[in-house]
Amino acid sequence: MEKIKHLYWRAGFGLSPTEWQQKKDWPISKAIDELFAQARQAQVSLPVAEMGLPEDMEKRRENRELFEQMLREEKRRIFEYNVNWVNRMANPKESALLERMTFFWHGHFACKPDFGKLGIQYLNTLRKHALGNFRDMVLAIAQDPAMIRYLNNQQNRKEKPNENFARELMELFTLGRGNYTEKDIKEAARAFTGWSSDLRGDYIFRPMWHDYGSKTFFGKTGTFDGKDIINIILEKPQTAQFIVRKIYKHFVNDQVDETLVSALSKQFFQSGYDIGKLMQSIFSSDWFYAAQNRGNRIKSPIEFTAGLMRSVELKFEQPLGMLFIQRALGQILFNPPNVAGWPGGKTWIDNSTLMLRLNLPGYLFNSTEFSLRTKGEFEDEAREKGNRRLSNTINLQPLSAGIKGNSSNEIATELAKYLLLTPTALPIETYTKELPATDRETIIRQMTTRLMTLPEYQMC
Amino acid sequence: MKRRNFLKQSALASTAMMIPAFLNDISFGQLMARRAGKVLVVVQFSGGNDGLNTIVPYQNDLYYQNRPNLAIPKTEVLKVSDELGFNPALQALQGLYDEGVMSIVNSVGYPNPDRSHFRSMDIWHTASESTEYLNSGWLGRYLDSNCAGCASPYQAIELDDTLSLALKGEKRRGFAMSDPAQLKRTTDNKILQAVGKTPSTAHHEENVAYLYKTLVDTQSSADYLFEKSKVYRSTVAYPQSEFAKDLKMISQLITADTDTRIYYASLTGFDTHANQRNRQERLLQQYAEAMKAFVQDLKQNNLLNDVLIMTFSEFGRRVKQNASAGTDHGTANNLFLMGGNLKKAGFFNGPADLKNLDDGDLKYQVDFRDIYTTVLNRWLDAPAPQILGQSFKGLELV
Repeated sequence: MEKIKHLYWRAGFGLSPTEWQQKKDWPISKAIDELFAQARQAQVSLPVAEMGLPEDMEKRRENRELFEQMLREEKRRIFEYNVNWVNRMANPKESALLERMTFFWHGHFACKPDFGKLGIQYLNTLRKHALGNFRDMVLAIAQDPAMIRYLNNQQNRKEKPNENFARELMELFTLGRGNYTEKDIKEAARAFTGWSSDLRGDYIFRPMWHDYGSKTFFGKTGTFDGKDIINIILEKPQTAQFIVRKIYKHFVNDQVDETLVSALSKQFFQSGYDIGKLMQSIFSSDWFYAAQNRGNRIKSPIEFTAGLMRSVELKFEQPLGMLFIQRALGQILFNPPNVAGWPGGKTWIDNSTLMLRLNLPGYLFNSTEFSLRTKGEFEDEAREKGNRRLSNTINLQPLSAGIKGNSSNEIATELAKYLLLTPTALPIETYTKELPATDRETIIRQMTTRLMTLPEYQMC
Repeated sequence: MKRRNFLKQSALASTAMMIPAFLNDISFGQLMARRAGKVLVVVQFSGGNDGLNTIVPYQNDLYYQNRPNLAIPKTEVLKVSDELGFNPALQALQGLYDEGVMSIVNSVGYPNPDRSHFRSMDIWHTASESTEYLNSGWLGRYLDSNCAGCASPYQAIELDDTLSLALKGEKRRGFAMSDPAQLKRTTDNKILQAVGKTPSTAHHEENVAYLYKTLVDTQSSADYLFEKSKVYRSTVAYPQSEFAKDLKMISQLITADTDTRIYYASLTGFDTHANQRNRQERLLQQYAEAMKAFVQDLKQNNLLNDVLIMTFSEFGRRVKQNASAGTDHGTANNLFLMGGNLKKAGFFNGPADLKNLDDGDLKYQVDFRDIYTTVLNRWLDAPAPQILGQSFKGLELV
């Protein structure tokens, strides 16, 4: 039971109450098979919205008002994709594993798309390869228009190479710091010259901008292009180690077990960078379920929100409420702080984010008005402030139906089994004190709020 | 002396009455904690303030050529030197300049400037190279270095409800709060008060323990800051803006001897791509009037020599105006220091060079990390090279 909960919180965003009832006694292998099968089925691209016409773009660039109006519209679309994505994460009918892997890769190949079409294409790139082959994924990212724009590769031309993409490719996406020289970056940058995107937001190779000359990269010499560079980078076992270490930290434990990571890296390398195989092997290992690897991870704001939505069928009447939470807690989808992604772990927590996390379930359950000032966007003249209420609905029926017991202690004990992944610091009776309610539904409601207010609820 | 005695007594009296039942002796000791050392107040202009229309090179023809309908006409400029003058919206600052409590550093920036707001702000916050990504801020690392053993989590306070990267260290973090009364309300939750009493021996896992510690620290800080915010009520008339309220709160906390050495406040909306003059001047006026009241408040309490105020923005704007009577993202910019302890009041260096540009942008003459170095070394008694990750010479600023 604890193992199933652990698996679904790491490979997905927790279980809905109905899933919990249905799956809590499943053997792990059955659950893993289902997760992967669902991920295969969900492997369809999201519909891509078109960009405005290129001629139109030119006109807009000249007229500031039109241009800003367009930017606002694109921002709104990105926000819409953000909300849709969180809704998928929270929806038991979607593939939890696919969304979870895509979310992980969004933090790895961190990018901030500025147009709707670029955003959805980028998301499709991540989804397509999320459990596929890492080599294909790196190549697809190198040709992804959102990333090309984000890392200035459309300015990478033979006459004046721009090293930004080449640097991050090695430092953050594949090898990690210290495994290459500045000369390697310069040579790799030349190989990616001409990998560009057009005004319609599609990838385009511009032969006129490409440097066809000979390059020397990691001791090899040839007329390499970007694909060759990626292949040479992936010939290095350091790349497998770098990726596996990051996956281990995200999915298993931020305290790395070097022996395990080294063994997994070898497997990953030998498999030719098969991500699905690697994840299957992690989730099927006994050590993945060891006590020291369970309930020790601070949920990221997105995991926290999606998990909460899934547990109590929380729905936001105004999607802006969701954006507010992301902004206040420090994780906005399609908007990582920089190309290094979200640092995660303890960095999620400071006095204000913790208090909001702990108070939020109460605000949501009781429609409480609260005041919180967030930093606006740079172009905004005023910061958001004043009292707000997050209009939302919650459905506790499914949760209530699966919970046994009548007394507050019995109910609390059952609820804790479902909601918490780490034992409470104090005996459960501590938290049932002064519970004025007598009817079952109210007890469930109040106990759910209380348990979600505990710091333990922040853990997965 | 008198003021301190008075404060001590009133703090004692009010805390004795107000002390919540769940506070233990350590928290009571904490309530009595007071500041040791000087105070730094950082003011951030978010959005990239146009420095050239803030401190105006009114004798420079290039300035007027580049900005045919955006430049501040010579007749409107508040001339403070032979070459430079203030934007008329900064009138309230002219007195501070004349009194010698303001110092202006021109052409501040860093190598390979980045024109993205987020990135450039991160670079200022983390004090990184522009090719380097750091997850901790310079003031946060100051806390790591100088405050490793501090009991109080509020050594650095940001007047806001979310914490900026600048105040996040590797180990320690600053404290975000837009208003002590509201902060206190967030800790009023019954369950959280019960949870806050959990003995620290009850947690087994490191991350869980960290959450509990942050919670308990926040609760005791909320009590402490709430108390401190009531000790002194400023008698200076501040303007009504949000920013002025923040400064007033800072002044009240400083005057109450709060055990805090760094305050951080920001003013946003400087991203003036279109119709710049009205927007920028509204903000500059808000800034100037609030600063005037703030400095007066500190002076009245004999605290101006203990306080250094630094105002910066993530970048300046391009020299040439754009087609929408605005300016686009640029590079080097001016930075202001205020306080009673300035080494060189007035202009620290010459005006920006408008002739010798880098692709239409100002070239930086002063690396902002030289300024940080001086602030850390001389004002905060902190080892700048260790905090910034490299050695900078520093400047004769304070």
